[in-house]
Order: sequence, then structure tokens, then C-alpha cells
Amino acid sequence: MSEKWLYWFEELHSGHNELVGKKCANLGEMTGLGMRIPPGFAVSVEGYGRFMEQTGAGEMIRQYVRDHIDELKSVKNQTAASRAIRQIVESREMPPDMREELYRYYEELKLRAGADEIAVAVRSSGAVSMPGQMETYLNVRGRESVVRKIIEVWGSAFTTRAIAFRLEKGMPIEKAPIGVAVLKMVQARSAGVVLTVLPTIGDTSKVVVEGNWGLGESVVSGDINPDQFIVDKESGCVECTVNRKTKMVVYKDSGTTVADVPEDLQGKRCLDEQELKEIVRIAKEIESHFNCPQDMEWVLDCSGRCPENLYWVQARPAKFSKVKEKEADYLAELMTRMFKC
Amino acid sequence: MKVYDVVPGLEFDPERDFAQSPAWFLDGTHSVPPWTPMFGWFWVNFCRHGMQYGAEKLSLPTVKGWDWRFHNGGGYLTLLLVKSEEEKQRREVQFRKAILPFIEDYDGLWGGFVQEMLGRYEKLKSLDLEKATNIELLDNFEETINTCRRMWEIHMYMMYGTYTAYILFENMCRDLAGIDDTSPDFHNLVSGFDNKVFQVDRRLWEFSKRAREEGLADLVVACKASEIRCKLEESVAGKGFMKDFMDFMNEDGWRMQRMSEINLPTWVEDPTPALVNVKQFIQKGGSFNLDEERKKITDQRKEAEKTVLSKVPQEQRGWFERLMVLAQKSGVFSEEHDHYLDLYTHAMMRRSALGLGNRFACDGALDRAEDIFFLIPDEVRRAGLNPDQFDMRYIVSRRKEQWNEWMKTPNPPAFLKEGFDLEMAMGVLIQSMDPIALKVVVGSMPQVRPELKADLYGTCGSPGVAEGPARVIMNEDELPLIEEGDILVAASTSPSWTPVFSMIKGVIVDRGASLSHAAIVGREYGIPVVMNVFEGTTKIKSGQRVKVDANLGVVFILDK
Repeated sequence: MSEKWLYWFEELHSGHNELVGKKCANLGEMTGLGMRIPPGFAVSVEGYGRFMEQTGAGEMIRQYVRDHIDELKSVKNQTAASRAIRQIVESREMPPDMREELYRYYEELKLRAGADEIAVAVRSSGAVSMPGQMETYLNVRGRESVVRKIIEVWGSAFTTRAIAFRLEKGMPIEKAPIGVAVLKMVQARSAGVVLTVLPTIGDTSKVVVEGNWGLGESVVSGDINPDQFIVDKESGCVECTVNRKTKMVVYKDSGTTVADVPEDLQGKRCLDEQELKEIVRIAKEIESHFNCPQDMEWVLDCSGRCPENLYWVQARPAKFSKVKEKEADYLAELMTRMFKC
Repeated sequence: MKVYDVVPGLEFDPERDFAQSPAWFLDGTHSVPPWTPMFGWFWVNFCRHGMQYGAEKLSLPTVKGWDWRFHNGGGYLTLLLVKSEEEKQRREVQFRKAILPFIEDYDGLWGGFVQEMLGRYEKLKSLDLEKATNIELLDNFEETINTCRRMWEIHMYMMYGTYTAYILFENMCRDLAGIDDTSPDFHNLVSGFDNKVFQVDRRLWEFSKRAREEGLADLVVACKASEIRCKLEESVAGKGFMKDFMDFMNEDGWRMQRMSEINLPTWVEDPTPALVNVKQFIQKGGSFNLDEERKKITDQRKEAEKTVLSKVPQEQRGWFERLMVLAQKSGVFSEEHDHYLDLYTHAMMRRSALGLGNRFACDGALDRAEDIFFLIPDEVRRAGLNPDQFDMRYIVSRRKEQWNEWMKTPNPPAFLKEGFDLEMAMGVLIQSMDPIALKVVVGSMPQVRPELKADLYGTCGSPGVAEGPARVIMNEDELPLIEEGDILVAASTSPSWTPVFSMIKGVIVDRGASLSHAAIVGREYGIPVVMNVFEGTTKIKSGQRVKVDANLGVVFILDK
């Protein structure tokens, strides 16, 4: 085990997509930009490769594909293949040397977090955009569980769609450029997203912040009606919409669940003026660093005061399209102006 | 002796026409050498109509298209300017809406017109000219006239819309990324696209490869141009080759040898020009790979796109990229429209006119079928149904005599009212903001930079530097004289010149702008083109070594 396959986020930056996958590289980049992100480390793509080779899972998958190559063309069989291959991956044990090293990092993470017991999130971090769900496990406790969940994330690289995709592109089926992020869970009081563009009309002069009580999953999934704050980048003017938030996502012993929001909090805004300002300030900074509108996820910790309680878990270019019609009209306007001189 | 007007109502008349406009420019690209009467009639009537139709349909804020006159086989044109501010404003409002189809679905718009025209051509071609009745022949001719008229409507509507987008892109590149259309970077941005003319060229290249594989190459190279076909048909392999070649001609050979004339055979009638292209490809040797050459240019473009986009602020990229895609279609359109519109329609005009011409010759109205090109449609109609009843030869002989006179004295480049000079005339063109005036007719004026000590100063049509023997070509007939590695020197070029671009190392043209043929094709073939040198064809002699530096827009004559 000579080559390095575990990295602290601060060792990474956006150039490390191939090494650790986009999510980890991005968390590294965010750390470098001075954003507060939950402490954690990355399992490299190489780590995945090593697991597959050392446990023999890689060869078994290759054999499986060789045996079933003709059947794999039908979607039904791809589903069966997905199940079989996941089974191959998930039934392997982590090789002892790899396990040892993961434990070491996990212990160090606890030290960094300053706690004897921590809960972590184990998230997949693909190096290329791959269709199909890749797993995220929240609120994972104990080193054995962490190792287990890492293997499960690796197994999740073999969804039906991912298999179909690799077959279609002629890519080797057992190779998945997938990294894993292991990061401490924040005890979320409230959480949500911020976009430095109004995605509906492509207005880049505004920042929009959405949030809810509890974990950010409820906002990201779009299941509830979150609070919404639209902030003008220039003037800082805020347009506030506080909604009635009845459900939120919280941890349970292991994993998460949907819970009722306590009555007295339902109509209350989930972040205060100062927290909003801080979120917007950083979002604008990151946007100007990447010179591109950002879509970011934030979490406010139960303990601590702003700005120390603000954590970031995601920053990526915002997907938005200027409404086509608007663009066409703009071009028509420019062409018209051309004739005036 | 009375000679009837060639284009009744549109013959140049200094007294009346100078009152309308002080400057009339010769269309040197299309009407030198002088047109035959029939072709001149079609062009002046319908190109004129098309330009005004296109400007009106788009409601261009500043211009209403162009007016045309006919003079001694030459076409002369002048702008029709919008006169009042109020009208400009009214037109602006309309224009903003009228330009939208170009922005929203360019390919759909152009593709629809191509289908419309191909449908018309198919219908015209479906008539068996030999078996047809006189009524059917005359109907076919009338339908051909309508087709030509419609062709020019589409032609100019598309051209105005397309070039408007191109000019805006040029302006935006200058404003946002700091490059303009005389810069090599800009040219890289708008080249490396497939188009119909290029596809035809590619087929010719493939035939050259086949000739080599089948052992026919030596024969083709050894033959004189006019003998290639006969010699090939003497062998079994050659017969098979010519059969497939003629099938290809029937698909894509509906084009004239000369861009804007109908008195020379189409490729379908006489494939010699196409076979000469095959011969020239063979002479380039086996290592020449058209596809690889093209790929280089495409890759260069992609690089240039990245560079330019990175200079554009993120929030502006959406519309900028869309505009770029639109502007990039200008080059494709410029080449393709010649194939689907001008060349094809002219081939139809020749076909239909010769159908009647043969009947006229049989029945004694004419001596030879080709003499019909010395009649105008009203005269054709006179004898159309009953050619045995009319003798049209006296008109032909008078017109031919006239035509031969036109050949002897070149038409002046412009008719200018007294007290009005060329520079003032150019100024009017530029002020008009007419997209065709800006991008095809006038172009940018060269900057003379004495420190470069160049012999000619022009503008960059396509970037690059090259050196080689000059070959001055004044018209299409001389194209076979071009040899591998020559630097082509011409007044201007047109689509029938496209295939020689794969042989030459550079181009110098007297006149041209960034959307003229030489510039577009030069970019697609990755060779330097210097334009607007004005005196290239007079100062340079064939055989002199010249150096073309298109990046600087200059030409050096190395052995004086």
C-alpha cells in the first residue's frame, strides 16, 4: 500500500476531479477559498480500483459481463445485472490494510471535529457525470459503518442506468471513476440553497436563498415550501417570503427521517438577517471567483453564532437558461440598434 | 437599324437615372464579361426585384434594397435609401419582429427554402423536352421565369437577414473580445463548416482516388481536358468510372460553368470542368487528404471559439454564443446558396430555353438552338407556340453584333454624375448600413502602411502567409491554367472557382469583403486571402513570384 488514496479536503482543489471525483475536488476548492466546510476526507478513485482488484470483485464482474454479454442488451437483464454486480461488490470485505488506513483517518477526523462521537455523511463523488443515482448515506456512526457505507457507495456505481451507459459507450463495465467523500455531519438547525442567479429568467443581478428547518434535503428535493429571500446584488434589497414549513428532515439513530416542525417554528423565518447577509456575501464572492453564477448548499449549525455556525457543503455552477424568447428578442434589439448610427 | 432594348424599362439612361442617384456601380463580379441578352434580362429584372423584396420583407430600417440598370451587357446598381427619420423609425419597429425567424430557427428557415426550390426544379426537370408539345415547352419556360423570380426573393431575403446577424457578431466580437473581421482569430471562428459545395468537392476528390485505384490516373493526367471523357470511355474500367461519374453529375451537376451566365453548358451536358477538377486532385498526389485538411480547420475553429467565449462575461455568453452560431451560418449560406439558388436556377433557365431553342431551330425561327440566348422572354413568347410562323433571326443577328461590340470595350466600374467621385459614392454605401453593401460590395478599405514596404495593400480575407508563382486569371475559361502551388490573382472569384482552392497556396483579389466568395472559401481551405488590393490584376504578371501576408493584409512582388 504505497500509493496515497485518502486525502484531506485541504489537500485537494478543482484540478483533482480525476483523482477523487468532482464533489471531493470541489470541497477541496471550497476549503482553499476559505469557505467553512465540515471537516472530512476523500477516498480516491484509485482506492476504489484497489478494492476491486484486491478483493477479486473486479475480476468477478468482468467474468459476469463476459458470461452475460448478449443478454445485457435488454433493459430487463440490465436490472438483473445491476443487482448481481452490486451484490458482488457489497459482499466483499474491505481488505485489512485499507481498513486500517480508513480507521486512522476516521480517528483523526474525530480529533479534528473535537468530539468523541461523530456522525458523518458518506457521499459518492463521480469524476464524470454519470446518469443514475449514486448513493449518499447521512448520519453514519462508528468506524465499521463508515467502511461499510463506502463499499455501498462503490456498489451504487452499478445501477441499471450506469451499466447501460457504459455498455453503450463501450466503456469497461467494472471501471467506475468514483470517489467517496466522508465528512462530518453538521447538527443542522436550518439549511438550504443559494443561487447567484434567478434561474427562472436568468437574471444575474439577484441572489436567491431558500431554506428550511433541519437538514437541507427537504429544500433540495423540493418537497416543501421553503422560505425564500431574493436579494439584489447591487443594493442588497431583500424580498422576503416566509412560508409555513410543516415538515423537515432530521437525523435518526442512523440515517434521516421526515419529522414535523414544532408549531412555534412553522411560521418563523429559518435564518436571521445576519445569517442571510453572510450567506449572500460568500455566495457573491464565490461567484466572482469562478466568474460564473453559483448554486450552493449551506447549513447553519445548532450551536455557535454567525458566522461561525455557517457551513457549506456544495458549490457548483448554476444551471439556468435564459428564456430562449428573451434571448432572441435581445438579439433582435441589438440588430435593430445596429442600423442607427 | 432598330435594336430592341434588352431589358425594357431598365436600360441605363443618364439623364433620368442620374436624377435618381448620382452613382451607379458595375456588378463586376457577375457581369464581366458582358451578359448575353437573355441572361441580362433575367438578372437585372429579378435580382433587382429580389433585393427590394428582401429589404421590404425584413423592413430594413435604412435601405429599401437596390435598383438596377442594364448597360452594354453590364449590370449597374445603386442603393434605395429610406428618406425620412419617421419612416426609419416605423421600419425599425417592423424589423425587430421580421428578423426573429432568423434568430429562432435559422436552419428551419433556410432548409424550408431549399426544399421549396428543389421541388420547383424537380417539377421543371420532369418535362421531357424532346417529347413535349410547344404548349408544354412554353409553359415550362414561363414556370422557369417564375422560379427565377422566386429564387431571387429567397436569395436576397436570406442574404439580408443572414448578413445582418454576421455584422452584429463582428461588432460584438470587436466590442466584447477585441477582435474584428480583418483579424485571423475572427476568420478561424467562422470557418470549418461543412456545406453543399464542399460536399461536391469531396465527391470529386473521391473520384480522383478511385481513378488512381483503378489505374486510370495516368490516362486522365495525360489527356487534354476536353478528351478525358472520350479516352476514359475506351476502356471497360473507364466506362464504369464515367457511368458513376455521370450519375453523380445528374445529382449535383445542375450548375453552370460560369456563375452568372447560361451560354455555356451545364456540368450535366458537359462534365469537362468537373473532370478537370478530378485531374487536378490526381495531380496533388496520393498523400493529399481533403478530410484531414478540413479537420485541421475545424479544430482551429473550436480553439478560437473557446478563446473568444472566455473573453465574454459569463452573463453575456448566452446570447453571444447564439449570435456566434448564427454568424457562423453566414459562410455556409454564402456557399450553399450559390449551389441551391443561383447555379441550379440558371441551369434550369438554360435547359428550358434550349428546349424551345431546339424547336425554334427545327422550325426555322432560329439558325441554332443557342441563339435563343439572344432573345428576351417577350420575343420568345412571340414565336413560342408557332415557331414555324416567325423568323427571329434578324433580332439575333443584330443583338449578336451588339454583344460582340460589348466584349471589345469593358464597361466602366461606375457611372458617376458630374461633380461626384468614387470616394463620395463609397461613403454613401457605407452610411446606408446595407448589409450587402458592407459585406460583399465595399468591404473594408485597406490601410497603407509604408513601413511594410509592400507592393500592394489590402485587407485580410483569410489568415496566413504564402509564397509562390502568381497566376493571373481573368475569367473561368482560364482556370485550367492553374497549377499546384500557384498564388491566384483575380478581380474576384465565384463558386465555379471553388475546386481550384485546394491546389493554390494563396489568393489576391482586387475587390472583396469578408463575406465574398474568395474570403469564405479561402478560410475553408485554410489558405491566405488578401482582398481589396484594387490593382492586383494590373500590377502582377503571371509567373512572377509573390508573397502574400494576409495577416498583415499585404502583397510583396518578389521579382520585379
